[in-house]
Amino acid sequence: MARTKINYRALVKSDRVHSRLYTDPQIFDEELERIFHRGWVFVGHRGEVPNPGDFRLKRIGLCPVIMVRDGAGKVNLLLNRCRHRGATVCNDERGNTRAFRCAYHGWTYKLDGSLAGVPYPEAYDEGFRREEFGLTHVPRVAEYRGFVFGSLSPAGITLEQHLGRAREQIDLFVGLSDADEVMVDCGAHKYDYRANWKLQVENAMDGYHAVTLHESFLGVLAERARAQHAADDYKGQFEGSRFAVTRDLGGGHVMLDYWNRLYDALNDDPIPEVEPTTARGRIHFDELTRRFGHLRAAHNLMQGMTHTLIFPNLILIGVQMRVVHPVRVDHSEVAVYPVRLDWLSDAVNATRLRGHEAFFGPAGFGGPDDVEVFERVQTGLAADRLAPWLMLSRGMSRERRDADGTLIGERTDEVTQRGIWRQWMKVMTHEDRPRRATRQSVRLPIGAHPFHQSH
Amino acid sequence: MAVDREKVEQFIYHEARLTDENRYDEWLALWTDDALYWVPCGRDDIDPKREISLIYDDRTRLETRITRLKSGVAHAQEPKSRMRRIVSNIEIEEGANGEITAFANFMLAELRRGVQDIFAGRTIYRLRLVDGAFKLAYKKVLLVNNDEYIDNLTFLI
Repeated sequence: MARTKINYRALVKSDRVHSRLYTDPQIFDEELERIFHRGWVFVGHRGEVPNPGDFRLKRIGLCPVIMVRDGAGKVNLLLNRCRHRGATVCNDERGNTRAFRCAYHGWTYKLDGSLAGVPYPEAYDEGFRREEFGLTHVPRVAEYRGFVFGSLSPAGITLEQHLGRAREQIDLFVGLSDADEVMVDCGAHKYDYRANWKLQVENAMDGYHAVTLHESFLGVLAERARAQHAADDYKGQFEGSRFAVTRDLGGGHVMLDYWNRLYDALNDDPIPEVEPTTARGRIHFDELTRRFGHLRAAHNLMQGMTHTLIFPNLILIGVQMRVVHPVRVDHSEVAVYPVRLDWLSDAVNATRLRGHEAFFGPAGFGGPDDVEVFERVQTGLAADRLAPWLMLSRGMSRERRDADGTLIGERTDEVTQRGIWRQWMKVMTHEDRPRRATRQSVRLPIGAHPFHQSH
Repeated sequence: MAVDREKVEQFIYHEARLTDENRYDEWLALWTDDALYWVPCGRDDIDPKREISLIYDDRTRLETRITRLKSGVAHAQEPKSRMRRIVSNIEIEEGANGEITAFANFMLAELRRGVQDIFAGRTIYRLRLVDGAFKLAYKKVLLVNNDEYIDNLTFLI
């Protein structure tokens, strides 16, 4: 199919972006290739597969992937595709197994992906080597605190380089827990919407919308707060930077940096005492207390400690990790996983879940209004003839460098949106610039498609 | 004491009609103070202390849900869903203290902004006689698609 070369510089300006970026199927295909297949994307957390044989179905872009823990405790990312005739070999979203057996002709694979056997092997000649026909491994897999990232490109920057300053926010999200102290076994809220994937990504880091779009939630909350505590005008919290700032951590990782969280007042249950239940938990809690003070450390462990986008597809908000899956240019799926920490009491972990349910999920008091507006945006974008731009200019003139070098703005400023689009442009126009030699030596698995061409 | 099957059925049908017609206040008035309105997520049998639900409303949160739906700015229900549901296969058990447990299947057509969705599932009700009339103490809805991507469940299910 003939395709025209897209001039991205004409579509993404420093203060505005063009409708086509959300509606053009060719741009969507190029995003999948350049952002989701070449770069690092979040796949899953080690805590989802705690035992040998545990597996989850995952995706990298549109590519079906099995995340499975093998007998040696290693978490493997395997392409879910039989090496014989291409059928998926894993068909349950989650479970525990000793092997993956293709239903079609019976090729059977071990948990590390190697081919254990095929029926009637004598029909293959001696040139057929079983070790060449294991399930294809995702070429690059790396973890940070149990967060498993993958890249379908055999070469590129390291995960450490990719995450940069965002690592600190992952540390806070898990309350400094080690990988095996994070329990990702609380189920998932899953919702889809008929609009572009970037609308969810941008919205999650938008400090401007809550005061209007979530008025029904904040109004109820303000009423509750007035009844329970001292009256506080919630709208005042959205002005200036007294309660939060927008922050660009670099690399497309951006955050709303709150000093407090809003939605706890909705929870009428008595607030349980936060006391670590394990020795390691005590160490984490003491460290958090040292950094933030006891009250805020305890409060944050019940509500979550960060509000960050890990570019391009992982959102950490409160107690949830949220994964955005592009499906088509105008269809997206989102899975939201609240997590427990094994060193918090059952009561504190339950409080985390109830607080999450109040706002999020398809029946929550906030999330569905976001989804509603994504679809209204997608519908509105069809009116692209006369004024096709979406504006990102809010607070541009008052952006400033914080002491740590990150770019910050006031709570409602679009520092975050601009940070996302800067990275988006960098990745999408990568081939337009001279390539520096950052290739790592990674052995290409046999049969893997060389997405990343060397120059 | 034999259960008055017809009275139980009438209550269930009435409750279904109030949800179909978004009659929020009348629906809220059906509930007891120790209400639990529960829609599990992922599987039918989850432990709410350790796992999330789509809805896990005690009386207070139920009131919050209704306040929000009536606010005029709950955008996921502006416009509101148009709905009709069939409730059938009703089975009734009498429990301790005269509390009645009823089981039913349902199928719901829900239309909003040009898209009609079908929801189906099984509902478990616990009814209690208060001053001679039934009140709803517990409603657990086991959605067939509770492990699938759902775009909007902000109406009363």
